[in-house]
Formats: sequence, C-alpha cells, structure tokens
Amino acid sequence: MTNNVFQHGSTAGMRIHVLPTKAFKTFAISLYAGVPLEEGTVTSTALVPFVLRRGTAAYPETTQFRERLEELYGAGFGFDVYKRGDYQIVQFRMDTINDSFVQSKESLLGESFAFLGEVLTRPALENGSFRSSYVATERETVRKKLEAIVNDKIRYAAERCIEVMCEDEPFRLHPLGQRSDLDGITPDNLYKSYQDWLNGAILDLYVVGDTTPEEVEQLVKRHFGRNSSETGQYSSRFTPVTVSGVRTVEEKLDVNQGKLNMGLRTSITYKDDNYASALMYNGILGGYPHSKLFVNVREKESLAYYASSRYDGHKGIGTIQSGIESQNYGKAVDIIRKQLDELKAGNISDLELSQTKAMIRNLLSEIQDSAFELISFDFNRQLSGKERTALELLDQVEGTGAEDVKAAAETFHLDTIYFLTGQKEE
Amino acid sequence: MEQIHYDRLQETLYHEVMDNGLQVYVLPKPGFLKTYATFATKYGSVDNHFHVEGAEETTVPDGIAHFLEHKMFEEPEGDIFATFASNGASANAFTSFDQTVYLFSATENIETNLSTLVDFVQHPYFTDENVEKEKGIIGQEINMYADNPDWRVYFGLIEAMYSKHPVHIDIAGTIESIATITKETLYTCYNSFYHPSNMLLFVVGGVEPEKVFALIRSNQNSKSYGKQGEIKRIFEAEPEAVAKKRLESRLAVSMPKCLFGFKEKASGLTGEAAGRRDLTTKLMLDLLLGSSTALYQKLYDEELISDSFGHEFNSSPQYAFSAIGGDTKDPDLLLKRIREEIDLVLKSGFAEKDFERARKKKIGGYLRMLNSPENIAHEFTRYQFGGGDLFEVLPVYESLTLAETNQRLRDHVDWEQLAVSLVVSP
Repeated sequence: MTNNVFQHGSTAGMRIHVLPTKAFKTFAISLYAGVPLEEGTVTSTALVPFVLRRGTAAYPETTQFRERLEELYGAGFGFDVYKRGDYQIVQFRMDTINDSFVQSKESLLGESFAFLGEVLTRPALENGSFRSSYVATERETVRKKLEAIVNDKIRYAAERCIEVMCEDEPFRLHPLGQRSDLDGITPDNLYKSYQDWLNGAILDLYVVGDTTPEEVEQLVKRHFGRNSSETGQYSSRFTPVTVSGVRTVEEKLDVNQGKLNMGLRTSITYKDDNYASALMYNGILGGYPHSKLFVNVREKESLAYYASSRYDGHKGIGTIQSGIESQNYGKAVDIIRKQLDELKAGNISDLELSQTKAMIRNLLSEIQDSAFELISFDFNRQLSGKERTALELLDQVEGTGAEDVKAAAETFHLDTIYFLTGQKEE
Repeated sequence: MEQIHYDRLQETLYHEVMDNGLQVYVLPKPGFLKTYATFATKYGSVDNHFHVEGAEETTVPDGIAHFLEHKMFEEPEGDIFATFASNGASANAFTSFDQTVYLFSATENIETNLSTLVDFVQHPYFTDENVEKEKGIIGQEINMYADNPDWRVYFGLIEAMYSKHPVHIDIAGTIESIATITKETLYTCYNSFYHPSNMLLFVVGGVEPEKVFALIRSNQNSKSYGKQGEIKRIFEAEPEAVAKKRLESRLAVSMPKCLFGFKEKASGLTGEAAGRRDLTTKLMLDLLLGSSTALYQKLYDEELISDSFGHEFNSSPQYAFSAIGGDTKDPDLLLKRIREEIDLVLKSGFAEKDFERARKKKIGGYLRMLNSPENIAHEFTRYQFGGGDLFEVLPVYESLTLAETNQRLRDHVDWEQLAVSLVVSP
C-alpha cells in the first residue's frame, strides 16, 4: 500500500490539507465546519447550510446559483450535516472537472474556490439579514426531512435505538436538530447564529487533485475572508458510560418486518492504541459476510436477509441491526447474544482472524483510490487528535491476536435492545 | 487482444473474445490499488419466458433470476464469501431487469480472486435442501422491500404502466412465487443463460491486461462448453396504453410519495440509436425538471416538491418510460401544477443557452463518473449488453442538437400516456 500523505498548513483561520495527485479526473474539495453538538444550537446550525445553498451575494436567486454550477461543467456541490462523537459537523463538498479534460476558459479549481468561498462567507441578504423567503422554505425542508426519518424503517429503528440509549447525552440529538426548535427560528436570529457558527466553528479545508499547497493557500486567502486568525482544535469530549443492565424497548409501527437493533458501549475510541482491536472485534462480529452474525443469523438459521454490526470509534458505540419476522424475536436475540458471548470467551478462530484482517486491509487500501475517502480518513485525525496513517493502522490490525480481540470484547457491553414491530397482534 | 485508445478520456481499453464466446474487457487504471471486476450475464427478471434453440420453450417462476443469483454463492465446500474474505476481497452481486452481475473489489490476490469469481459463477451447486433454506432468507429480503416506500412507489409506477411485459414484476418475486422454485428450475435457467457467450467479464483497476487475459484464457480453456443455441426471449404483446392511470399503496409515511411518468411505445431501438435516444431523453428531462430550472424552483417555493424530487428514464427495445417525482404534501395539486408548467415548456421549447448549460453539466457528470471503477464497470456492461459503447458517449453529447431535444420533449410528453403511483399512509 502506498501512503498518500496530505500536506498540512493553515491560513485565514482554517487548517488546510492538500494532496497533490494526478490520479483523478477531478478536483475534490471538502470543507468541514465542526461545533459542539448541543441542544441549544443543533437546529440552527443544521439549518444554516440549507439557507446558504439558496443563494449568494453574486448569485442571489437559487436558479442563478445552480446555473453557475452547471456552467462549471456540472460541478458537484453538496453538503451533509452529521455528528462525530459529540460534535456536529457540516461538510461542504465540491467535485470539479480538471480543466485538461474540457475546453474551459476559466480555471475550474479557482472558480470552484470562488464559489465555495462565496457560499460560506457572502450569502444572499436582505436588510442585513438572511432572505426571509429562503429561511421560511428551508425551515420547512428541514422539518420535512426530520419527519421523513420514519419512512425508512431500517434507519428509523437505528436512530430510535441511539435516542433511547443516549437519552442523557447530546448524542441523542439528530444532526438535523429538533422539530420543536424550528418555529422559533427567524431570519434575524438565524443570521446571528450563522455568524456565531462561522466565527466559532473549527474549519478544515481539504483538496485532492492536480494542484499544490501554495496554489490552494493563495485561493483560500483570496476567496475566504474570515476574520479569525486562530484555528480551532477538536478536543476529546469522550467520557465512558458505565452500563448497568440491558434496557429493552419495543415499539409498534405499521411494518411488514420487525427491525431488531442493539446498542453496545465500549471505552475504546479512535485515539486509543487498542482501536485496531475494536475494529477487529466489530469485523469478526458483524462487519462482513463471513462474520459471526451473517453466518449464524442468516446462513445457518435463515432468520434474516441482513444481520450486521457497526462500530463508531468517535463515540465508543457498537450497533447491531437485523430485519426479522416478529415471531422470531426471542430466537434472534438469543443467537446474537450468543455471538457476543463467544467473542468475550475468546472463541475466535484463526480463520476468522485472517479473513477479517484481509477485509480490513482491503478497506484501508481502497481508501487510496478515492479522493473523498482519503479526505474522510484524514479528517479522523483532526477530530481525534490522533496521528495514525492508514499504513500504521494496518500494521496494528495485522498485529492483533485472538487475546487482543477478546480483551476488546470485554470492553463492549450490551446497553440497549430496541425492537420495532408490526401493529398486528401476533 | 485488441487495444482501443480513447485519447480525450486518457483511457485505454483492452478486449478479447474467448473461444467459448465470453467477452473480456480490461481497463487498466495506473496508480490505482484497487481492482474491481464484474462478471455479468445478460439475464434478469424480465427473462421469464424463453426458448433456447434445441430445448423446450419454458416459463419460469417470478423472481427466479434473483434467486439464482443468491444460490450461486453456495459451493459444496461452503459459502463463497468466505473464500473471497480469505483473499481480502469484498464480493457481492445484484439482479436487475435485464442482467445479473457478480462482482468483487480487492487490492491483493487479484489473480486468485478473479479465478474465484469466474469459477463460482461457472459452477452451479443446487440441492433440495439449500434451495429450501434460501426461501427464508429471500422471504425476509422481500419483506424488507415491502417496508421501503421508495421501492413500493417505484414498482407501483411500473405496475401502473405495464400489464403484460414482465418489467412490472418485482425483481425478487413474491413469497408465493419463490415457493415454487426448485433446483430443477434453477438448473434450467442456469443452463439457458449462463453460457459464456451470453456473458461479459470486465476488470478495471491496477492490473496488467496481458496477465488478466492469460489467466482467463487458460481458465476458460480448461472448461468444456457445448455450443449454445440462440436464446429467444418471448414477450407477450404489451398494449400501448398504460394499464392503470393511477395506483395507490399504503405504508406509514410522513408525507405521500408521488411518482409519475410517461410510457412510450416499444421502439425496438438498439445500439447507437437507442443510446442516443436515452442520452437525449435524460438531457431533456434535466432541462425540463432539473434543480436549476424555473419549474423546479417554482414548485419548490410552493412547497409541492422537496430535495427528494428527481427523474429518470428507463429503456429496453420493448419498453421505455420516465419516472418523475418525490415526496409531496398534495399529489393532486402537484400533478396539476406540473402539467400546467410542462405545457408552457411544450409551447415554448427549450432555450439555446439552457440547452448548452445542461449539456455541459451532463459532460461534467459523465467525466466525474469515470473516476469510479464501480460506475465504469456497471455502465460499460450495461452499454455493451444494449449494443452501445460507454466510451463513445462524449461525442454523442457533443453532437446533440437543441432541435432534437425539443422534438424528444414533444414525443415523450404525451398526457394520454401518463401513469401515477402513490404511497400514502393508511
């Protein structure tokens, strides 16, 4: 595996990370803005990028804004709002064609920076505040998105499980905020929130493509006039939660298939030296089609089509998800818990270890072929403060033995079992 | 080995037909660590009634192509996922209307993984017992889709449009239809559609073409295949009119889902002509309904559509239809307003500058797609099976005209041919 390394610097109050490469046909740009995930600001922070994507000072009408992107050869522009640990992250992405493939008169990288800088720092305004019509419609858009969570039953069950499990922590909050906050948001108070957010957020700007750190620095200076000269720093807000007994919650909804979700707590997070052991634990438990959950719940018992696990290293949480017939609930829970016990007892075969290592090795290598994956991986370092290249992580994974996985398993405690089941009586 | 260089795309494609008729294509991506390979048969859910020269005419149960895809992963020595995992490959498969695709991605042991892919797909192993076991798993997959409103509204639309053509049958079939599947029917389908001459292997990534061809050549020469008779797919005549103007299904949703589209009559178009018609139609739909259009913005501001609003066009020689829509609070009002707005565009036609901008966007989107080995492999195979060439799309985009696009708009939008599918809460 080669080691693609970002060159790190900072200017105009933001950290800049550049990976010069000719491997792609595009320039990939990501801007991360992180703030603590808090009840008081979660909704306004989530709403800001929705309003920013409606128009800028130079392209105040939304159709102008979008036509501009199309002129840049359909530059990909988008944003996401999500949580990482106890931070709320707004990520803007642009993906622009390298000029050499098209007959463009403008520098598409320069124009993309101009555009993104404009989006972030010079929104369309009226009377010194956000346009009221944009705030009103985007408020409804966010409301609809929050209401629509229930449409995807698999995702809904997963989110309900986290809500129940983390009811006393900020992590219970949905990254798009709370419906009840929306009515209180006005153009004026949202504009004020936007300014506070922009001044307070930790900003990381990434570029992958045929460019140099010097060129990027110049573009940032020209297009992102940010007042602050201080670059912020993510700090670990992680406090391990002690599990005292398993909580079981069952809810009813009109579903054809029961959705079974489980939440586990671990003290191991991304910055820890035994992070690799936790990754291996998750891989052997349910990360892949050779994992214990897939083999035992699906292949051996035909109980489910999907049965898998995930590990969130920024929050120290493991999750398990499966879709089953409601009448098989007891059986499925028993089989899943048995797999957790097997791992705790250290019943891990050499084959499971070697297969899981091979899959993680593949995953870490594949990152190198995708600009946005490279960016996401490096951003983990900014978030956790832990410097660890993909190669170093891979070395640690390779060095993990059954005892290490067993030791990791002992830190994973089942906290919550959530079951979403049909309304009909069984 | 034939070598095709696409200068403007800076790509070189290698091609060879094996003695048994298997088409093999290799696209090296220098600098990429990952290799992505797809092994596809031109056989999907619509091929449920067929006649292979020298065999009986056959009608098979709904969902059998997809069932067969599941069952291919089982070998006498166990699940093939485990073999891939041991070699660090992430494997999968999917079934669509007209193809079944087996795939893996890996960064190491490429030759071993390629052999595994080709060998398992060329080695069916069905027993009464393993066929029965799979019915439980696929039953849960069917139930999972039954809970998915996006899937329901999409298939509802096709069901509303088509009464005879099997495109309206759910790809996975129903619990009842898969109950009738036996190992004998699976072998019949396998023997009809998995002959190498009906298949295509595509390998993209950090590979040396000569090595891939040498490997596949010797692999194929070691297996004996008889000559395959011509496959005749039999489709009952489909009426020109839509089957139902409107179809409603019930599922708990936050807001109704509304999808509508126009059913075209069977064109019989194949190859370049079909490819050009598809690209023109997609460009036309984007000009008409894309997020930068005045129509989109009006309906968004009227809160009749949301970010979920989109459009697509699907075609084969026997069917062609658009699917347009998303979440809306008032389906009837949306349909009324859409009709008013589209009728205005029908009168005026598209403007030259909008056409040029939309074309630029499409070209940019196409080039961006070429960053992704997955997309290249899937799109290339789809084009080949349809008689076209993915790498010749750029000149087609450049040769499209405004007049042609306006004509396509008038041909496609025929209100008599409109069908509507809704998912609403019970």
